[in-house]
Amino acid sequence: MSGLRLRGVGKDFGAVAALRGLDLDIADGELLAVLGPSGSGKSTLLRVIAGLDPVSGGSVHIGDRDVTGLAPGRRNVSMVFQTYALFPHLTVLENVSFGLEVRDVPRDAAREKATAAAELVGCGHLLGRRPAQLSGGERQRVALARAIVREPDVFLLDEPLSNLDAELRVQMRAELAGLHRSVRTTMVYVTHDQAEALVLGDRIAVLRGGSLEQVGTPDELWSAPANRFVARFVGTPAMNLLPADGPLRLDGLPSGRPLEIGVRPDALQLSVDSADTRDGAPGEVTLVERVGADAHVHVRLESYDVVARVPADDRPHAGDRVTVGVRRQDVHLFAATTGRRVPWR
Amino acid sequence: MEVRERRQLTLMLAPYVLGLVALVLVPAVVTIALSVTEYDLIQPARWVGLANFRALASDEIFRIALLNSVVFALVAAPLRLLAALGLALLLHRRVRGTGSARAAAVLPTVVPDVAYGLLWLWLFNPLYGPVNLVLRLGGQGGLTVFGRTPPQWLTDPNDARAAIVLMSLFTIGEGFVLLLVTRLGLPNELYELAAMEDATGWDVFRRITLPLMAPVAVLLLLRDTILSLQLNFVPALIVTDGGPPPYATTYLPLFVYRNGFEYLRYGYAAAATLLMLVLTVGLLLAQWVVLRRWRRGWGG
Repeated sequence: MSGLRLRGVGKDFGAVAALRGLDLDIADGELLAVLGPSGSGKSTLLRVIAGLDPVSGGSVHIGDRDVTGLAPGRRNVSMVFQTYALFPHLTVLENVSFGLEVRDVPRDAAREKATAAAELVGCGHLLGRRPAQLSGGERQRVALARAIVREPDVFLLDEPLSNLDAELRVQMRAELAGLHRSVRTTMVYVTHDQAEALVLGDRIAVLRGGSLEQVGTPDELWSAPANRFVARFVGTPAMNLLPADGPLRLDGLPSGRPLEIGVRPDALQLSVDSADTRDGAPGEVTLVERVGADAHVHVRLESYDVVARVPADDRPHAGDRVTVGVRRQDVHLFAATTGRRVPWR
Repeated sequence: MEVRERRQLTLMLAPYVLGLVALVLVPAVVTIALSVTEYDLIQPARWVGLANFRALASDEIFRIALLNSVVFALVAAPLRLLAALGLALLLHRRVRGTGSARAAAVLPTVVPDVAYGLLWLWLFNPLYGPVNLVLRLGGQGGLTVFGRTPPQWLTDPNDARAAIVLMSLFTIGEGFVLLLVTRLGLPNELYELAAMEDATGWDVFRRITLPLMAPVAVLLLLRDTILSLQLNFVPALIVTDGGPPPYATTYLPLFVYRNGFEYLRYGYAAAATLLMLVLTVGLLLAQWVVLRRWRRGWGG
């Protein structure tokens, strides 16, 4: 087992830069979730680590080995593809033992290890089946078994849960977390689903346009987003952003430059009681969406729209006049020009 | 509605059905009928029972033609498949010149048979034909560089048979296109995964490419076997004229053609045609059995 170190890693496709000078350190045994929207370079990052795409600049180290120039097969990494990439003509057992057999591990030993790996991820009862006879979740498990059987230094997962239905995704997410705890291999987990990243990642790297926006623990990302993009990208519904001199006024803000305040939807306090206007801004409810136990309440504040999350039982109705308030400790501050976080309080 | 739909379907099927009846079924029935008669286009057909088949059984030339055909099919069909597969795997990557190379691989197939035959007649010419000019490069006294006489494509029986096989190896455009498309349809992730597992080129070919392409390749082999019993007709007629003696390149189609259209023995030719059909079916069945056993062998 070993950590992973990227230094100035860039990747260009013709004139398009998919990755721009990334520096990233992943500790031995850590699970780093790489989070970003489509086209942010997440998959390219994974492919560059795997060696499937050569870097245009920079270096990739696994442990103390410089693998930048090595072929994928020489890096001792394994990958779970989004489409699983199972061999349709091979049985589950043959799929899992493939990597061992082509590396000249004797067949019996390879099959024994493959069986053990399949047991570990819960597909031990499927060994004789072919991929076409498996459900999505079962294929997923086979792909995982195949990735862990070789005991790689680094384990790469490219949106592995995106093809599963919601319920199964939650279940597999928990199993993946358990798997990581038991094998303790360095993992890089690419996803566009923030819930997956927040639940699974020891740390999360947020990627946009080929650059890292922030790398930190889920707590750090949540409580101290480095910039407007991270603030908006993590959390559903997204964080509300308003000019500091807009409808929600706060005292004691740093002065001297234009600022934006950010408030998460669950930190907004709505009161329908019109008498209670001592601390807050008046607004009108334009839309109420019930989402399970919560309701997302869209409120028009002067010329701005904000979303508040309230318990569904206490939700107002469209057209209601409400007062919107916020506690100081829930407010994030960003520079309006650069979007960077401004420390305060 | 249903009546209209049915009428439409009938109408659309009609050209095909007409063609099938006029060009396949009627000739087939006529052939079967002719095979038990003696008929020379001049005298009325005369019933002879199974006499044609008995005569064929003791006809030395027919036996040679039959053997030639079987050997040709057994040699040419696998070689043609190998050549098409090799080209498909060579040219599936998109690099500079791939497009032209693909076109070049298909081109000989679309040359009309007779023109193709005449071209090879020149290529094989013992004196000024380019094939032997190349083979004689570096050699002395008209010999190859290994001190051997270059092949006598048109005058030596075995060399002539090889020449016909060689000609057939360049008309593999359809098989090439089919296999190329099959290869292009295989998911790239499988190959990336194999790369990450450090699989060698041979492992990738043996464990991934070949098994995944096998269903198409097998189908192609069966079809090509049928074809190879017929596609040597024009080359044998134009390039080697069925010779050199003794009937080295007289294959069944040429045998049938000679008997029917040159010697006017239509009954005899029809009987030979029927035997050719039986041979085709027999070869296909034999291949089918072998291939099924082979596929079960590696668990496909």
